[in-house]
Amino acid sequence: MKLLRHTLCGALVLLAACVFYTAAQAKPKTLSLSERVQNLVEMNQKKPLLRFNGPKFREYVKNTPRNYSMIVMLTALAPSRQCQICRHAHDEFTIVANSYRFSPVYSNKMFFAMVDFDEGSEVFQLLRLNTAPVFMHFPAKGKPKAADTMDIHRVGFAADSIAKFVAERTDITIRIFRPPNYSGTVAMITLVALAGSFLYIRRNNLEFLYNKNLWGAIAVFFCFAMISGQMWNHIRGPPLVHKTQNGGVAYIHGSSQGQLVVETYIVMFLNAMIVLGMILLIESGTSKGHNKNRIMAMVGLVLLTVFFSFLLSVFRSKAQGYPYSFLFK
Amino acid sequence: MILAMARDLLTWEKQEHLVKLIILITAAVLSFATRLFSVLRFESVIHEFDPYFNYRTTRFLAEQGFYKFHNWFDDRAWYPLGRIIGGTIYPGLMVTSAALYRIMWLLNITIDIRNVCVFLAPFFSSLTTLVTYALTKEIHSTGAGLVAAALISIVPGYISRSVAGSYDNEGIAIFCMLFTYYLWIKAVKTGTIFWSSLSALAYFYMVSSWGGYVFLINLIPLHVLALMMTGRFSHRIYVAYSTLYCVGTILSMQISFVGFQPIQSSEHMLALGVFGLCQIHAFVDYLRSRMPKDHFELLFKTLVSSVLTIVLVVGTLLTITGKVSPWTGRFYSLLDPSYAKNHIPIIASVSEHQPTSWSSFYFDLQILVFLFPAGLYFCFARLTDSNIFIILYGVTSIYFAGVMVRLMLVLAPVMCVLSGIAISHLLAKYIKSVDAGGAAKATESKRQHKKLEQQSGGVKSEVAIGFVGIITLMLIVYTLHCTWVTSEAYSSPSIVLSARSHDGGRIIFDDFREAYYWLQMNTPEDARIMSWWDYGYQITAMANRTILVDNNTWNNTHISRVGQAMASSEEKAYEIMRELDVDYVLVIFGGLTGYSSDDINKFLWMVRIGGSTDRGAHIKEKDYYAANGEFRVDKEGSPTLLNCLMYKMCYYRFGQMYTEGGKAQGYDRVRAAEIGNKDFELDVLEEAYTTEHWLVRIYKVKDLPNRGV
Repeated sequence: MKLLRHTLCGALVLLAACVFYTAAQAKPKTLSLSERVQNLVEMNQKKPLLRFNGPKFREYVKNTPRNYSMIVMLTALAPSRQCQICRHAHDEFTIVANSYRFSPVYSNKMFFAMVDFDEGSEVFQLLRLNTAPVFMHFPAKGKPKAADTMDIHRVGFAADSIAKFVAERTDITIRIFRPPNYSGTVAMITLVALAGSFLYIRRNNLEFLYNKNLWGAIAVFFCFAMISGQMWNHIRGPPLVHKTQNGGVAYIHGSSQGQLVVETYIVMFLNAMIVLGMILLIESGTSKGHNKNRIMAMVGLVLLTVFFSFLLSVFRSKAQGYPYSFLFK
Repeated sequence: MILAMARDLLTWEKQEHLVKLIILITAAVLSFATRLFSVLRFESVIHEFDPYFNYRTTRFLAEQGFYKFHNWFDDRAWYPLGRIIGGTIYPGLMVTSAALYRIMWLLNITIDIRNVCVFLAPFFSSLTTLVTYALTKEIHSTGAGLVAAALISIVPGYISRSVAGSYDNEGIAIFCMLFTYYLWIKAVKTGTIFWSSLSALAYFYMVSSWGGYVFLINLIPLHVLALMMTGRFSHRIYVAYSTLYCVGTILSMQISFVGFQPIQSSEHMLALGVFGLCQIHAFVDYLRSRMPKDHFELLFKTLVSSVLTIVLVVGTLLTITGKVSPWTGRFYSLLDPSYAKNHIPIIASVSEHQPTSWSSFYFDLQILVFLFPAGLYFCFARLTDSNIFIILYGVTSIYFAGVMVRLMLVLAPVMCVLSGIAISHLLAKYIKSVDAGGAAKATESKRQHKKLEQQSGGVKSEVAIGFVGIITLMLIVYTLHCTWVTSEAYSSPSIVLSARSHDGGRIIFDDFREAYYWLQMNTPEDARIMSWWDYGYQITAMANRTILVDNNTWNNTHISRVGQAMASSEEKAYEIMRELDVDYVLVIFGGLTGYSSDDINKFLWMVRIGGSTDRGAHIKEKDYYAANGEFRVDKEGSPTLLNCLMYKMCYYRFGQMYTEGGKAQGYDRVRAAEIGNKDFELDVLEEAYTTEHWLVRIYKVKDLPNRGV
C-alpha cells in the first residue's frame, strides 16, 4: 500500500514535470497577434473579466503590435491589504465587463482585465503605481496618455461612470445591465409573512393591537430614531467611526455638516436618558411608596440635568462658535 | 403696587384671565420682534431670490387688480418665451398682502407695498402664536397652550422661513395650516357643520397659499382612519369629515394652479378613499341598529367579500389599461427615501431636499428635541380623539422632516405643542409641591406638611424646587439658543452683504441694488439681460428689465443655452448671444471682496448644465479642469477655462488690481490664487458698469461691425 502510494506520487511528479516541460517547450517566445487575439477571445468565453498576472500582463497588454484596446483595473483584493474600496470597485467593474461581454457591441476590439497586486506586483512597479484601485485604458495604438487613467476621485467608480470613461476613450458605448437586487423584496416578503403568521397564530387574542402602551413605545422610539438622524444615515451612509490623524478614533464628526453612525447612537442614548428622567419625574407621584417616590424623583432630576448638559456639550463641540454650555464644557 | 391694586379689585377668575392675556400678548409681540434683526441691522428689504418674484407679483396685483393679475402673461421673463403667471402660482400670499395694503390705505395709513411684504411673515407668526395657543388648549389645557405659544414664538425652525423680508409662501402657510387644524379639532369635538365648514374655508386659504397643503389633506383623513380603527368613529366625525372633504375639495379646485388634481392625482387618493369609507361605515352602523344580529352578520360578510372582489377586479383592469399607475417612482420614494437620491438626480442636487442630521434638528429645535417624545408619552397615557390627531401629526411630520430638511417647518409647530404639553404637565405637578413646601414652612406644622406632601404625590419640596429650577434654566437656555440662532444664522438678507473690516468696523456691500438700479436708469426699456438663473427674479423685480432665465427653472434647454454662452469662447458666445438677442450680460464676481458664492464658483454647474443638451455637446466638463484634475483659475488652469466668456467677463481689468497686501496684482481672494490670464481685451463686449466692490459687473454686447470694416 505504502509502496503504491509512493509510486503514484512519483508518477504524478514526473507527469507534472513532463507537462510543464512540454508547455514550456510549446510556448514560443512571443505569440503572434492573431494567436493572442484568439487566446483572449477563448479566455473571454469562460470569464468576462480576465485575470492577469505579471507575465500575462506583459504578453497581452504591454506587447506591441495590438489591434485591440484593454481596459485594466489594477487593484488589491487580498483581505490582508484591507482595501475596502477595491472590493466595491471590483464589483462595479465586473458589472461593466459582464454588460460588455453579453451585449451586441461585443467584439475582439476591446477586453476587460484586472491585475491583483499580490499576483502581479511587478505590473504596479512597471506603471509606477502605489495606490489601488486604478482604472486604465491601453489603446490599440500608442502608449496610454494621462487621460487614459480614469479619475476616480472626481467621477467615482460606479459602473455608469466606468462605462462613460470607456465610451470616451474607445467610442464603444456599453449599456450597463445590473443584475436586479432581490434582497429588499425578499426581506419585505419575509417581514410581511412573519407579521401575517404572527397575527394568524394570535387571531383569537388580538387585544395587544389595542395596547396603547405598545403603540406609545413604538411612536417614542420612532421619534428617537428620527431625531438622532437615522434617516440621514440611511440616505447618506456615513462611516461608523472616523480615524483621526494621530491614530485615535473619533466618535463625533467635527462639523455640523456631517455625522457618524456611532455619534447618532450616542445622541439617541442621551435623548432617551433625558426623556426617561422626565417620565420618572411625572410617574413618581403615582405609586404609594413614599421613599420610592422620592428616589424616582431624585433619579429623574439627576438624569435630566446631567444628560442635558452632556447633550449641550456634544453639540457645542460640533457647532463652531456656539456659546452656551452647562455643567460640562 | 398696581398688582396689589389689581388683586384687590379683581376676582380670582379675572386675575387669571388677565395673566393669560398678558402672556399671550407678550408671546405674540415677541414673535414679531424677534424676526426684525435683519430690518434693524440693514433696512426693510426683501430677502434672497424667490421673495423678489413674490414681491413683484404682489406689486402687480396691488396696482392692476385681481383680474389682470389672473390673466397676466409675463413677457419680462424667459425671453423670448415668456411665462403665464396667473395660472401657475399659489395666489394666497399675494392676495393677502394686497388686501392688507388696501385695508391700510382705506384707513389712511399710507404704507408702501414693499413694507407690507417685508412685515407680512412676522405678522403672521404672531397670529400663529395665538392659533397655537388655541389649538393646544383644545387638545390639552390652557396651561399647555400658553407654554406652547411661548415656545413657538421663538422656535428657530419656524423663524428660518419667516423673518422680516423673507416674503415667501411658507410665511403664511404655517398659520393657515395650524388654523385649519384648530378648526378641525373643534369640528371633531362638536360635530357641527358650522365648525367643519369653517375648517373647510381655512383649508381653502391653505391651498391657495402653499403646495404643502397635500400634507394637511393626507393628515386629516389619516386621523379619521385612526379613529375608525380604534373604534372611536361616531356621528360627530362623520359630519365633520364629510363636510370638510366635500366643501374643501370643491373650494380647492377653484385655485387654477390646483385644478383637477384633488380628484386625479395619487396624493389626494387617501382623502377620497377615507371619504368613501366614512359613508360605508356610517351605512353599516345604520344597518346594524336596524337588523337582528345574525342577519346583519350574514349581510356584512357578503358585502365585504363582494366589495373586495369588485375593487380587486377594477383595480387590475385599470392598472392593465394604464388608467392608474400606482407603482411609479413617486410611490417608491415614499417607501424608501434613498430611492430619490439614487434615481432622481434633480432632487439630490437641491440643498433643501437633503436629509436632516441630528445637529440640524438640535440647531432648529433645541430642548424641544427631547421634550417632544415626553409630550408624546403623556398624550399616549391619556388618549382622546384630539390627542390621536396630534400624535399622528407629530409622528408623520417627524418622518418627513427627517427625510427633507425644509419640512422642519411643518414639524416645528407640533414640536412646540407637544413640548408645551410636557412642560405644563411637569410644572403643574411640581409647582404644587413648591407652594406646599412654602405653606408648610410658614405654618411650621409637621402634620400639615406631611398631609400636603401626600396630596402632591409625596415629593419633597426641595426636589420640587430643584425641578422647577432646572426647567426654568432649560427654558432660559432655550431662549438664549433661539435668539442666538436667529441672529447668527437666519437674519441675513443676502441681497445686502456685510463684513468686518480690519479695524472691527462693519462694511456694507450694497452692490446688487446698485447694479440693478443702474440697469433701470441707464438701459433701454426693452433691453434684454443675460445672467445666470439665480439672479433672474431680482433683475426683473428691481431693474424691471427682460431676462432670459430665472429661478423658476422650468425650461432646461433655455438654461442650458445660457450656460453654453457663458462657457464658450468669445466668438462662439457671440453667436449664441446674437441668437438670443442679448443686449447686456451681468455677472457676479467675488474675487475682490471674497464673496464666495459668485459665478466662478457656480461655473462648473453652468458647464454641466450647458453640456447636458444636444446643442452643447461640444462643452465637456473635463476641458475646464487643469492637468491634475483640479478647477483652478491661475496659470495652471486649463486654457479653455482661461479663455471662456465667463472668465473674461469676471477678470476683465482685474489683472491690474491690487486686492490684498503682499500679493501680486490680480489676486483672487475667493480662490486664493493669482489669476492666470491677465492682459486681454474683449472683442465682442464692452464693459458697461462695475459696482463699487466689483460684486456685479455688467457688459454691453457690441453690435455687428459695419460692412467693410
